[in-house]
Amino acid sequence: MDRWRAALRPALPLATNHLGGDDKVTPQLISVVTSTVAQQTARPPWWRDIRILRVVVQVAATAVIGLILYVLWFNLTNNMRRIGIELGFDFLQQPVGVSVTGSDISAGSAVWRALVVGIKNTFALVVVGLPLLTIIGVLVGVARLSTNWLVAKAATIYVETLRNIPPLLVILVAFFVGILPLPTIQDPVEIFDLAIVNNRFIAVTGFTANPGFSTFMWIMLGALVVSAIVWRWRTAVFDASGKPHHRVLWSLGVMLGLGVVGFLVIGRPFELSKPVLDGRVLTGGYSGLGGYFAMLVALVLYTASHVAEIVRGSILAVPKGQTEAANALALSGFQRLRHVTLPQAMRIALPPTINQYLNYVKNTSLGIAVGYSEVTLIAFQAVGNGRPAPQMVLILMASYLVFSLVISAVVNVLNRRLQLVTQ
Amino acid sequence: MKTTKLLAVLAALALVLAACTEAADTTTTLGDPGTTEAGAEEPTTTAGGGEEPTTTAGGQAPAGDTLAEVQSRGALNCGVNDAVPGFGFRDPDGNFVGFDIDFCKAVAAAVLGDPEAVEYVPLNAQQRFTALQSGEIDVLIRNTTWTSSRDGGEGATFAHTTFFDGQGMMVRAEDGFASIDDMANTSICSLTGTTTEQNVTDRFGDVPFELLTFEDNEVLQQAFLAGQCDGWTSDKSQLAGVRSNFPDTEGGPDALTILDETFSKEPLGPATRDGDTQWSQIIDWVVIAIIQAEEFGIESGNVDTFADTEDVNIRRFLGLEIEDDEGNVTVFESGLGLEPGWGADVIAAVGNYAEIYARNVGPDTPLGLERGPNSLWTDGGLLYAPPYR
Amino acid sequence: MTASDTVDIQIPEESLQPIEPGLRGWAWVRRHLVSTWYNAVLTLFMAGVFAVALWWVVRFLFVTDFEILRVNLALMMVGGFPRDQLWRPSAALIITALLIGVIAGMATASALERARQSEVEFTAAGPLTLVRRFWPLLVFIVAVLLLTQTLTPWLIAGASLVSGVGGYSIGRVLPSAVRRFGLVLVVVLLVAIYAVLSGGGIGWDQWGGLQLNVFLTVAGIALAFPLGLLLALGRRSTLPALRVASVAYIEFIRGVPLITLLLMGIFVIGFFLPSGLRPGNVTRVLIAITLFESAYIAEVVRGGLQSVAKGQVEAAQAVGLSPWKNMRLIVLPQALRNTIPAMVGQFISLFKDTTLVIIVGMIDILGASQAANAQAPFLAQGLHLVTLPFVGFAFWVGSYTMSREARRLERKLGVGER
Repeated sequence: MDRWRAALRPALPLATNHLGGDDKVTPQLISVVTSTVAQQTARPPWWRDIRILRVVVQVAATAVIGLILYVLWFNLTNNMRRIGIELGFDFLQQPVGVSVTGSDISAGSAVWRALVVGIKNTFALVVVGLPLLTIIGVLVGVARLSTNWLVAKAATIYVETLRNIPPLLVILVAFFVGILPLPTIQDPVEIFDLAIVNNRFIAVTGFTANPGFSTFMWIMLGALVVSAIVWRWRTAVFDASGKPHHRVLWSLGVMLGLGVVGFLVIGRPFELSKPVLDGRVLTGGYSGLGGYFAMLVALVLYTASHVAEIVRGSILAVPKGQTEAANALALSGFQRLRHVTLPQAMRIALPPTINQYLNYVKNTSLGIAVGYSEVTLIAFQAVGNGRPAPQMVLILMASYLVFSLVISAVVNVLNRRLQLVTQ
Repeated sequence: MKTTKLLAVLAALALVLAACTEAADTTTTLGDPGTTEAGAEEPTTTAGGGEEPTTTAGGQAPAGDTLAEVQSRGALNCGVNDAVPGFGFRDPDGNFVGFDIDFCKAVAAAVLGDPEAVEYVPLNAQQRFTALQSGEIDVLIRNTTWTSSRDGGEGATFAHTTFFDGQGMMVRAEDGFASIDDMANTSICSLTGTTTEQNVTDRFGDVPFELLTFEDNEVLQQAFLAGQCDGWTSDKSQLAGVRSNFPDTEGGPDALTILDETFSKEPLGPATRDGDTQWSQIIDWVVIAIIQAEEFGIESGNVDTFADTEDVNIRRFLGLEIEDDEGNVTVFESGLGLEPGWGADVIAAVGNYAEIYARNVGPDTPLGLERGPNSLWTDGGLLYAPPYR
Repeated sequence: MTASDTVDIQIPEESLQPIEPGLRGWAWVRRHLVSTWYNAVLTLFMAGVFAVALWWVVRFLFVTDFEILRVNLALMMVGGFPRDQLWRPSAALIITALLIGVIAGMATASALERARQSEVEFTAAGPLTLVRRFWPLLVFIVAVLLLTQTLTPWLIAGASLVSGVGGYSIGRVLPSAVRRFGLVLVVVLLVAIYAVLSGGGIGWDQWGGLQLNVFLTVAGIALAFPLGLLLALGRRSTLPALRVASVAYIEFIRGVPLITLLLMGIFVIGFFLPSGLRPGNVTRVLIAITLFESAYIAEVVRGGLQSVAKGQVEAAQAVGLSPWKNMRLIVLPQALRNTIPAMVGQFISLFKDTTLVIIVGMIDILGASQAANAQAPFLAQGLHLVTLPFVGFAFWVGSYTMSREARRLERKLGVGER
């Protein structure tokens, strides 16, 4: 009996519930327990058993996908071999055959170097464009809600026009209307010696590094750390005593002070370098090609129109009570925007804005239309000059993926910090 | 209602798929009779006896029977350009016209008897050789330069040159450049992915310059006219076309100068796939026939008047009967695989070389090109037709 | 607020009301234009900007020579379509107008019936309302008609109008039993349109111009939808193999620009297929677009699936519906309705992206305008500034109309509110 009870113990609670709490082992109990155990451990037939089906379906799906991929791969390598196109990535070391504007890639440089220059050019567009388009997008989005009817209408026309035309068209128009009509290089516009504007490039005053520049950079890094500490200190003071923290002024002041000290101590770690045009040769300064500015202006304006729409939507999504409360506290329009509306609106706006950032990065591939040597154009050139297309397309896709992933990751960190914890 | 929706969607999909395969069928070209692995060879059949197919670097060229394929399909797939004035472009009705287009028509007339039986496949510079290799087109007549690397590395065979061109540089007259060596540190515009990029880079050598490449000829043109580049490099025929059309409000043709220097040889001609010698020879001889017709003085308008000519060469060329001294009547068969009289069909359809030239790129057209090296050898040019016998 | 930009943002209805309705006359001017001194300065500045812009537009419309557009209108609308077969696109246009009329008629009839049943006020839109709603489209049609050189397009436009109105009347009077099969009618008409366009051996590889843009958009979305639906379901699946495969595909495609996929389509697809299968350029581009759009549609559908309240699924399970029935009867109908604004946004975005095909050498409307500029009489005259605004206007009309209609549909369906 004890062995029975021990064996049946797991089933007993069920059985005893069934019988109303009686613990004695009777034939009734045994029959109930046996049927309960049978029920518990009963297995449906294998073709209805969800556990088996799950595995079977996954195996089948993997097999099907694997088969499709295998067939594609087989065809690809077969056809490439048949036509005589090389497999593998050796072509990256071979000379690219053409020179690339605005860089030191010449005909003899390796393909991979040219691609790196292309990625640098794309990066130049991205790094300048993303902050610009955010600023313009927010400004226009806020302007659409302005009480000034003309301003609101102008913003609406801007957004509704640019949002609905293809980016390629915007780029072409920016090129034809914005860049090409600029003065020619023989007769450029010079702005107070500080900038040169013509339709090939726009050059502004820049900095050149002197010896000691690297030390200066280290000092600036240290200054950054110190100003971060100052920021936290001022915030702590504010939290403790309620006195205005002015932390931005403090941190910037500290950085500036340390920077000036460093500058004087090292003695001219960098110098202003003015752009000088001699015939057609430009020395000094920072310059950007006409194509670059056409792309920048076009894509920034285009993407900003989408961002403006998002910003408007998110400002309108802030609960009306917030606006009314701010008015009750006698905050001016600008203060209300800055302290109440925008912080909440930005939280809502961030996820769709990430999408727009990624669209911006992907739209830089249209530089091929205006001759700006970003990575897609260089890939096209290489393919046109005999490099194998499948591998080149793969490299191109991989570089854009990397851009997308990095930007997503960075902005998502910001997003997570801003998100409210909701149910 | 929901089931109906599902059924309707499935039906639509099925129809679209059916139509899709139909469309694919109408554009299917040479089907390789089983992919040949490296090591197996299939002889091509020519009237003159079996010949081994030529192999491309690194792979086995597909053995093909393009002639039979084209004849059974009833249409010639011709790879062309649709954006080069004079050579291959669309008129406002959307029809293809141009120097190269006329040669497509000539091939169709020779092979199919109907110059209009052509499917024009517009291709850009990057895809032209891939399309040829893959069998999408039968012949590429797209102002393509004959070079060794294309013969060797792109799996292409070039036919008799139709147009001897050269790469030149166009500059603004006011800049006063006399030669490339004057153009240090200038900005030069060219199209992406063509030999022009490499040629100009090679020519400039140590002289520093900036290269601006564009995908689209139109954008390039605008950039040049706006002064973004000091020089525009391209085949001289294309430059001449732009120059002669330059509007007077901008200074007219005299505002632009094409430098005398020709810094590359650009023999333009049709290209066919490696490995089908019979087909390549047919294309060759169609071009030669057009030149030969000019040598004989045969034009599209007067082909019929030669029916009674005593000249045996002309009779052979036109596929007319030849009676020898014993009274035997023969018609000359070259063994190319074409019906005798194909020469007459070609000339009747598109005319001889002089007519094609004059119609598309001659002095009376917007391009306004003189014959120059594209004249007969008897006139000091480079056009020479091997005898048809 | 519509489509892909703001679909995640819930805007309460009260925010859309004007702050102070009902100001008139001088009070309005005081509030909206000159309420503060800097407002007044801003008003003056903007007035100047508006004046200059208006001057440019007027000058453009009246001074420019539109000859290049007049001569090349057919090229821009249908590309290289054989000119003796132009009756086909015209017939297709008339059938399309019929289709739209029928759909509108059926929708109005259904709405009237529902309104009658629930005793709600409903009046069908009259012609004046329609003109106000669709003014960009009408302006575009009038502009095109003014640019034509023959009388035929006027006749076609008239015929389309007649067939549209006729379709509307038919749709209105169809009994509700027939209306339930409305989708079948739509499919039949779509097939008819396609058959008319491609009869006579003109495969879609010969299409060009604006027709090509519209075709690529419609066919792209239609073909991508089943694949996108599968991917969305796969992404939500609990089976790791399916989920990983779906996520990998979606994230890969969404991370690369369309131009790289078009490049792949033109150059590389030929290698993937067995030798002997040589699709034309348009087919390859269509394959690339389908692959591209399926990932975006998957995300849109996934958003829709997520928007269905969990309670619905739980209730369905409580009632005893199998997972498949659950999906088919409860989840998908609600989910797909919620995806409509984002789906239209995807449609618009694809419509704009079809211009990219000029980079791979195909003649769509933008390519036609470039080709027109290369023709001898128009060479080197800077006529881009005439053709580009026209092309831009065509796209603007299409996108703006679609996005406005999507917004209306959104409001009518109460998306996000229930």
